[in-house]
Amino acid sequence: MTQHVNEEDVATTGDHDVSPAQDSLERPAPSPRLTGAIVAGFAALAVGVSVLGGDLLNPPASTTDGDYSGETVEMMIPLAEGGGTDTWARFVGAELTEAVPGSPGLAPVNDDGGEGILGTNHFMTSAKSDGTEVLVSTASTVVPYLLELPAVHYDFTELRPILANGTGAVVYARTGAGVRGVEDLVDRDKPLVFGGIAATSLDLTTLLAFDLLSADVEATFGFEGRGPVNLALQRGEVDIDYQTTSFYGPAVEPLVEDGTAVPLFSLGQVDEAGEIVRDPNFPDLPTVVEVYEQLHGEQPDPQVLDTYRAILALTYTYQKALWVPEDTPDEAVELLRSTAEDMGADPKFQKSAAEVLGGYPIDASADLAERIGEAYRVDEDVREDVLELLETDYDITID
Amino acid sequence: MTDAAFSALASLADPSLLLMLAIGVLAGLVIGLIPGLGGTGAVAILLPVTFGMDPEPALAMLIGALAVVHTSDTVAAVLLGAPGSASASVTMLDGYAMARQGQAKRALSLAFLSSMAGGLIGAVGLTLAIPLARPLVLSFGSPELFMLTVLGVSLAAVLSRGNVVKGLTAGFLGLLLGLVGTSPTTAEERFSFGSLFLSDGLSLVAVALGVFGLAEIASRVGQRRVAEKPVELTGGWASGIREWLTHWTQVIRGSLIGIWAGILPGVGATAGTWLAYGQAVATAKDKRKFGKGDPRGIVGPESANNSVEAGDLIPTFLFGIPGGVPSAMLLGMLLTYGIQPGPAIVTDHLDLMYLIVWAFAIASIAGAFLCFLATGSLAKLTRVPFAVLGPGLLVVMLLGAFQESGQLGDLWVMVALGVAGFFLKATGMPRAPFLIGFVLAIPMERYYYLTASLYDGAEWMARPGVLAFAALLVVPVLWSLIKRLRGASGAADDGHRDEHENVAAAGDELEGSLAGTPWSAAVAVVAVFLFGGALWVSGSFSEEARLMPRLVAVCGLVAALVLTWQEARVNRRRAGRDAVKDAREPAGGSGATMLATRVEPRVDTPALTRHHDLVIAARTFAAMAAFLVLVMVGGYAAATLVFTPVFLLYAARTRPRTAIIYTLVLGLVLLSLPSLLPVDLPLGALQ
Repeated sequence: MTQHVNEEDVATTGDHDVSPAQDSLERPAPSPRLTGAIVAGFAALAVGVSVLGGDLLNPPASTTDGDYSGETVEMMIPLAEGGGTDTWARFVGAELTEAVPGSPGLAPVNDDGGEGILGTNHFMTSAKSDGTEVLVSTASTVVPYLLELPAVHYDFTELRPILANGTGAVVYARTGAGVRGVEDLVDRDKPLVFGGIAATSLDLTTLLAFDLLSADVEATFGFEGRGPVNLALQRGEVDIDYQTTSFYGPAVEPLVEDGTAVPLFSLGQVDEAGEIVRDPNFPDLPTVVEVYEQLHGEQPDPQVLDTYRAILALTYTYQKALWVPEDTPDEAVELLRSTAEDMGADPKFQKSAAEVLGGYPIDASADLAERIGEAYRVDEDVREDVLELLETDYDITID
Repeated sequence: MTDAAFSALASLADPSLLLMLAIGVLAGLVIGLIPGLGGTGAVAILLPVTFGMDPEPALAMLIGALAVVHTSDTVAAVLLGAPGSASASVTMLDGYAMARQGQAKRALSLAFLSSMAGGLIGAVGLTLAIPLARPLVLSFGSPELFMLTVLGVSLAAVLSRGNVVKGLTAGFLGLLLGLVGTSPTTAEERFSFGSLFLSDGLSLVAVALGVFGLAEIASRVGQRRVAEKPVELTGGWASGIREWLTHWTQVIRGSLIGIWAGILPGVGATAGTWLAYGQAVATAKDKRKFGKGDPRGIVGPESANNSVEAGDLIPTFLFGIPGGVPSAMLLGMLLTYGIQPGPAIVTDHLDLMYLIVWAFAIASIAGAFLCFLATGSLAKLTRVPFAVLGPGLLVVMLLGAFQESGQLGDLWVMVALGVAGFFLKATGMPRAPFLIGFVLAIPMERYYYLTASLYDGAEWMARPGVLAFAALLVVPVLWSLIKRLRGASGAADDGHRDEHENVAAAGDELEGSLAGTPWSAAVAVVAVFLFGGALWVSGSFSEEARLMPRLVAVCGLVAALVLTWQEARVNRRRAGRDAVKDAREPAGGSGATMLATRVEPRVDTPALTRHHDLVIAARTFAAMAAFLVLVMVGGYAAATLVFTPVFLLYAARTRPRTAIIYTLVLGLVLLSLPSLLPVDLPLGALQ
């Protein structure tokens, strides 16, 4: 080891400029009085910094006067940096705060505990209701809410929506597994392998669609994300998969073009009248309901369809939303909402936001609270249906 | 294609683009210096700045930062033994050992030059790999990815210094710790004991900084003066470059492994640096110095960890599967510009792809060059006594760990793991396999489960890729077994061999100082209980969720029992030998014995040193716990203002003036940090 240390180096390195360290060897413990004085001084400074500084730096917000100038909007993103929701939230948040009168600053906070549950819980208990704190919701926080997982301490009916934005999804299959069209979903010799992340994630809606169709599908969970499932399908490890609208183009279309995969149906959208309609981004693809009629020659069972529709609205049509606490003054909520509505209607915004929004408009019309409220007030029947499906088909019990 | 390449290069000649790149590089370097912030921090701080910019300057800035974060995060790993990422922990093995021998400058020069070359080769590889990426990624199914994770953990366990049983035990402990949290296959909680905080699993930064960084503080804070050999300050840049050039084959091999590993989605970026270290050890004729400051142990992995970043951009852009948070954020940024990841990106946005490649290359060179120029002054940091560095380091590391999850619980976990890391270190258990096991536990389980459910029976084992990895695993083991059977019988004596190694490892007096004592036997017994307990607890999981914890617990139990048996044997023998030993000179006496020497120069036995080390460590960990209590009461800034002067005055015995200035500076830095970097300070109950 010493072979690398030149003798010269050792010689030239004096200890003279590390004298404080050397002195310390001889220095006894400082006198209690001196220490006490120093520590007391710093303690006083600490109290000053943490108590007074906090108040001086954060004067109470004034957001009810139709002007957010000088404020900072804190946006709670309960998921990790870099995911789809994070990208969406940062983009929409930045555009929105710029459009709000007074152009407040934006401080995105990522609190990604418990797949979104911890951050949302935290917002529920501690967010200021002066219109400067905004929560981002997405399927990861909505599905646990729907299933009433014990860890969930939030309630969307106690929050007020600012804006919502939906997405859609397309189910496609590998032609190598012998799938040419929707008729190959049923009466199979060997079930199709579906690759999923977890039954209690956004996969739930697709699983309900398979259940509705009585499709012959066997699910394997444990994938890291939808990208890896798409790759696994290309490798032939899984046979059937779904991708949301924004990833369908780059990830699936090339496969459809070269004949490796075939699109089967879209999950559909829930329109304002509460009906399941074709996805505007995939006007040529049938919805689950149409496929059912084609396969079975009749309308699906109304109760099963109700469950599917309720979950579809929650997880897709109103997938992502911005919320403020219930006690936020009406003026502030209205200012944010109307700004969002104008922003959503602005063609310039629509153009720059096309990819991030995935082809679905910003929904911030005056009746949003009403519609979204209805979607989020999930019937006990629906919940029981879902729990039953999870228990019987996927062996998942939620206490 | 070449047209696009050159037009991209020409566009980089645009001063405004170069300026953005330079800003990115500087930000990346500064953020990389703070252990725990890393690439996520760098992208998070720059991302808001890029809103409203054109895609080219925005990309130049972010790529500039990403390309150099792993260059400067080497500094803390090499100088302070505090790696902020799994890859930095590999460089630490030899780099820190070298620094402690007074050759910090040499270690840093080698690391920076390798980073530069790694980044450069990575950029070239990025260009060439684009057409090959798709078939390569598609040929790696779940079975191959599973084998890759196994290979990563086993390499770490086998190649770390010391005995293999200890390495394996540490690896299994790491795997077990990695399994805490939500199961990736059934979404049920394991080993979380009802806590929502634990259900997320532990944060990597908290584990890495706890097991290495805090353990380091606790074991070195007893030194009130610099105990290492004097810092080597002479030897110009030219000599550094000359030495580095002699290792050029390692540089190329390391970089190639890095690119290849980075391309594999999911596991590559983590396992890549280890594979590079593994091949460096496997192909070296004289392996004895690895882990004790072998330059090859720095050059290989350090080249790899920068080219991994380049390789990682391939799955990010081509498949939309980022290897980590930083590349995920980059992906998000592209999306806001309407650029969709996917195979079509190569045809639709070829100019941007080349811009990325060139920006990466230029940033790597510039970043590593800047660091290289600064090595001399950086290396002087090792002259500051650890007792003085301690409080500042502690404050910075805890703050870094807090950023990942924003949970105070992580800081407690970190201190607890610091205690564990201290004992692992002192009893000669390698901590690198522990960390790599922790990182790879979930991917290993995920791909094992997917392999088992997507393939019929054992057909996956016959896949060529799987066979190749299995051969990589088994052949060296068989080889060493054959050699051992043929070789002298004395080589089988593990206890004996361990002691020899301790003497050789004089660079770090604590490492292994408790090996062969009742303490190390106790660590083995604790491991047995942990694995036994895990086995018992896992009985309550569902069938799928139980698979991996059981496997780990059973294998770990076997390894820990063998270790206990070895320890018992060594202890018995030692007891018999003690009488003889008392008369002899202490074996590893250096550094930390300094204080003991001062107090009682004549009774300088290893036992006294050990006792002294333990007392100091216990006090330091108690101080850390006290600090956390203060944080919980009054918040981070207030706690720092109170804790630092007390620690400096009593533990480090600095002059009152030094303590006051130090505290004021630290306090100012803490208060201004949140407005400069995306950093949150933990809040206390009183705030």
